[in-house]
Amino acid sequence: MNTVVADITYRAMLGRKRIWLLVLLPLALVVIAALFRLIGGQDEHTAVTLMRSFAIGTMLPLLGLIAGTGVVAPEIEDGTIIHLLAKPISRPVIALTKFVVAASLVVVLAGVSTFAAAYLLAGGDSGVATGFTLGAVVGGIAYAAVFLLLGVLTRHAVTVGVIYALVWEGVVGGYVPGARKFSIQQWAQSVADHVSSSPFFSTDVALGFALPAMVIVTVGALLWAGQRLRSLSLTGDD
Amino acid sequence: MTTEPTAVIHDIGYRHYDGVRLGRGRATLALGVQSLRGVFGLGRTVRAKIMPLLLAAIMLMPTVVSIGVMALAKQLVMPYPNYAVFMQAVIAVFLAAQSPYLVAPDLRFRVLPLYLSRPLTVTDYVLAKLAALAVALFGLLAVPLTIQYVGELLVDLPGPPHTADYLGALGGAVLHAVVLSSVGIALASFTPRRGLGVASVIAFYMFTAAVSGIFAGVLMSSGRDDLAGWALLLNPFFLVDYVQSALFGTAPVNTESAPPGIASCLILLAVVALAVTGVLLRYRKAAS
Repeated sequence: MNTVVADITYRAMLGRKRIWLLVLLPLALVVIAALFRLIGGQDEHTAVTLMRSFAIGTMLPLLGLIAGTGVVAPEIEDGTIIHLLAKPISRPVIALTKFVVAASLVVVLAGVSTFAAAYLLAGGDSGVATGFTLGAVVGGIAYAAVFLLLGVLTRHAVTVGVIYALVWEGVVGGYVPGARKFSIQQWAQSVADHVSSSPFFSTDVALGFALPAMVIVTVGALLWAGQRLRSLSLTGDD
Repeated sequence: MTTEPTAVIHDIGYRHYDGVRLGRGRATLALGVQSLRGVFGLGRTVRAKIMPLLLAAIMLMPTVVSIGVMALAKQLVMPYPNYAVFMQAVIAVFLAAQSPYLVAPDLRFRVLPLYLSRPLTVTDYVLAKLAALAVALFGLLAVPLTIQYVGELLVDLPGPPHTADYLGALGGAVLHAVVLSSVGIALASFTPRRGLGVASVIAFYMFTAAVSGIFAGVLMSSGRDDLAGWALLLNPFFLVDYVQSALFGTAPVNTESAPPGIASCLILLAVVALAVTGVLLRYRKAAS
């Protein structure tokens, strides 16, 4: 961790248009939950549906994508990362710092909005709110690490990330049960399912697989990103 | 005694252009064609070709499968009008990946004044970019549909060929192209950064798709089926699907309680008008 690098990254993330996308999605989640409450649709089933398909299925990958690639990809695109890499700070430390910034943003935004929305709809019933909040938090951390790695690996990080989140997790995961084992979304749902006792909610991936997988993916992505930064080449593109 | 030096412009032999000046229309056409080539990575690096060609290949896969099934099982498995809705995730990724390419670099490197120093106007520029993306999206949809139709004719299924369905689907492809390109360019042109542009377009699609699905599901489970169709209109692909069924008489994917056709058409027109107005206003500001 390097506090100066963290400070600069926070400022870059919060001071631009990027923050609007980051704030609008969690806000929309809470607004939708409030709307359901207004039209009298608040029950546990609705809460679980909203959490699964919107909070974990849509908002979390998008937040992870925007924050994870946002902390490093624009700097590589502009070439200004060279000033950062030229400082006597170890590259893995830079990667770790960028990850902490991205993960903290995702955790705060996704965690708070998920808890608020789930609480609006289900109250404290059968641990739906706490379960999904915990799922969103751990899933957000894993997403941030993976998308940070993508940002270091390729110039088309956002597109590749979108294909992973939408095509692999969304479409392929919808039809092929085996693909769900390799999906951060499903791991986050396993964590949520473990905490909550809601009868409307069941997951395909066992917690014994999901937790180790999540830890391995996060740590592995961070180590790889740190290694990759050590030999980053700033060649042009397009 | 010195004489005052007088300024002289030397003719150093630059060639003049004496040919025909082709004017505004040809400039717009040239920009449109060049943008269209760029969408598919033609005339760009190999790395820029990978993504669009990969997505175009994925779009062809259901067609290949469906022709195979038609040849073996003698029945049509994928109706033409449902193709775009079925492949909506891939089309959305294509739109998100390619629409920022059309607008972001020009904004980022501030080359817009160079275009506008030519006969091209701001409106021409915006129209050329919109048309390029629309033609690209139409091709992305029309080519697989046409291949499947040719395949159906060659396989010679029992019964008459589904020509009306095929033509309706082509009409729907035009609608998809117009709606998606205007929305994509409108969202992408708000940021000079390509990555953020990709993220905002895909966020728009995932957000509308998720919200329309959730609202439709909740409304249906609480017995208000009449409102569920309206909720589905939030998803641009379902909106076009309803308009397609209203205009060309094809069967919509979501049969339950479609909103009246005229309302879908008006909403579609409003979305396109709003998006195009947004882009024009954005470029008026960027150009001045």
